[in-house]
Amino acid sequence: MGDLTDLTPGRRIDGYTARRAQVLKACIVLTAKLFFADPQWIVPSIIAPFIFTLVAFFLFGGEASTGSFLLYLVLGSGLMGMWGTTIYGSSNSIGFDRWNGTMESTLAAPIPLSWIALGRVLFNTFEGVINALFILVIGLAWFQVGFGVINPGLFFLASLSTFLSLSAFGLLMCTVILLSRKGGFITNSMEIPVYIATGTMFPVSILPMVALPFAFLLAPTWGIEAIRLSALPGYTGLATDYWVDLAVLAVETLAYLGMAFVLFKRVEAYAKRNGTLEEY
Amino acid sequence: MEKSQTARENAIEVVGLTREYSTRNFFGGVARVTKALNGIDFTVKRGELFGLIGPNGAGKTTTVKILTTLLTQTSGEAFILGLDVRKDLYEIRRRIGIVFGGERGLYNRVSALDNLRYFSDLYGVEPSVARERIPQLLKAVGLAERADERVEKYSRGMKQRLHIAKALVHDPELLVLDEPTIGLDPGGARDIRNMIREMQKQGKTILLTTHYMFEAEELCQRVAVISKGKIVALDTPSALKRLVRDISVIELRTYGATTEYVDALKQLPNVVRVVAELDSEVQTIRIQSPLGADLLPQVMSALPLDAKIIDRTIKEPTLEDAYLRLVEE
Repeated sequence: MGDLTDLTPGRRIDGYTARRAQVLKACIVLTAKLFFADPQWIVPSIIAPFIFTLVAFFLFGGEASTGSFLLYLVLGSGLMGMWGTTIYGSSNSIGFDRWNGTMESTLAAPIPLSWIALGRVLFNTFEGVINALFILVIGLAWFQVGFGVINPGLFFLASLSTFLSLSAFGLLMCTVILLSRKGGFITNSMEIPVYIATGTMFPVSILPMVALPFAFLLAPTWGIEAIRLSALPGYTGLATDYWVDLAVLAVETLAYLGMAFVLFKRVEAYAKRNGTLEEY
Repeated sequence: MEKSQTARENAIEVVGLTREYSTRNFFGGVARVTKALNGIDFTVKRGELFGLIGPNGAGKTTTVKILTTLLTQTSGEAFILGLDVRKDLYEIRRRIGIVFGGERGLYNRVSALDNLRYFSDLYGVEPSVARERIPQLLKAVGLAERADERVEKYSRGMKQRLHIAKALVHDPELLVLDEPTIGLDPGGARDIRNMIREMQKQGKTILLTTHYMFEAEELCQRVAVISKGKIVALDTPSALKRLVRDISVIELRTYGATTEYVDALKQLPNVVRVVAELDSEVQTIRIQSPLGADLLPQVMSALPLDAKIIDRTIKEPTLEDAYLRLVEE
């Protein structure tokens, strides 16, 4: 063994932005390494997307379906996959530390927990995007549809905004896991209702009136609308404008972020008072 | 930010620290309040190696959690390097390193290098410094050759050495070592104790909690004995041992000793305390008594016929003997 007394002295980064960027990078890299270290990554990334596409095909894919409708389906399947991965991965990103025994080490770090969670959520959402792209490729090949989106620039912008809104929602879900050891049950049970409420497979406009406020409060609803408006010719959906959808999406995403950061602070303080955060 | 006049001298100052845990009933009302810490006071000087010893549930972990800002106290005050644990938590976390005992605290599915890089970034170490310091640390704890292997393949001792490296990655001024040798084989535990000595040589302040009295006696300059949420003694190991200078210890190594024999020894006149380890093939029994060797005939006569004494020694009392007296009083 070497000598512990002969080490390069430590020196710290002190700038607010540089510190947070460093933490985000570290959390994204670690989450990616942990994700690929587990062979089960094949299930959410390859098997689940394949099943989503298959279900969509058997439900809607018939000879009468037009190319535009099939693209609608493929986009919907992709968004379902993206949402499923995000909600599961993000909400568990801090929960993972609980059962891995690393909660104390994570909590003891000199940075608000919300920034650690955000880094992890960003990777999980990115993984959701990969999942969606995989579905898109399978779907397009299966249905033999050309990927002829009407405005690629706006399509990219809407997809990126939806990615960010899902990350913000995932961060909000993290606080639920932090509050309770049974938080995973709540976040997992939200997966299917949210598929329906955000209009991944069929238009939100056909939902009963009572469900609409819930749908409108979910930022991905507006993201999906904007994606479809930029991709599908003649798509009307909620009869809103692309930029209105994007504006509502931005406002709701910022609201999620704000709520998540406030909740993280409160949950951390609550857990410190009660001494429950590292319990599993 | 320095809050206390004595902050320059003391790395840790604890005043009237109290922590209560409430259990709630079905309706949300408080059913029971348990006092884990009951107004403890102590200070640790800068550069000192200070031990906190006590039985399970005595309040050691609660103290450590409060001092490392993971738990809030119910009342009282605690300052780390002159900073208030309630208010200055991020600055405190930046300046302390924590080693948790047991298997907790590492990402097992990635390598030692990945673990250290991650925690180095989390603690805000400059990347250029981290690039030099991490390989140095891995070499210092004897893991350089296996730095790229997943931690799950490491032995318990290797994991604990990695814990030490992780706690040092940001070059903290104060180290909190919570049972760092628990569950280690004698060789692994010795390595860790050597590292603790080296860290102290670097001028780091160390707060060590341990179950092993010989470890506290060997390493610590001062020791606080905590029992039922209160500090029952605080002094140097040799001063604490003087608390039991009125007794000698007969240490027996036996074959075939039973709990009945231990009970019989406890009943003998002038026996203060009997501590026995009966689980292994060869049992160790320590008998504290003011009579010393004069008690031996009675000890021998109480021995069952089918039992045999392999070895008997009269010893000076150790810190463990003092500790047992303190926590049982």
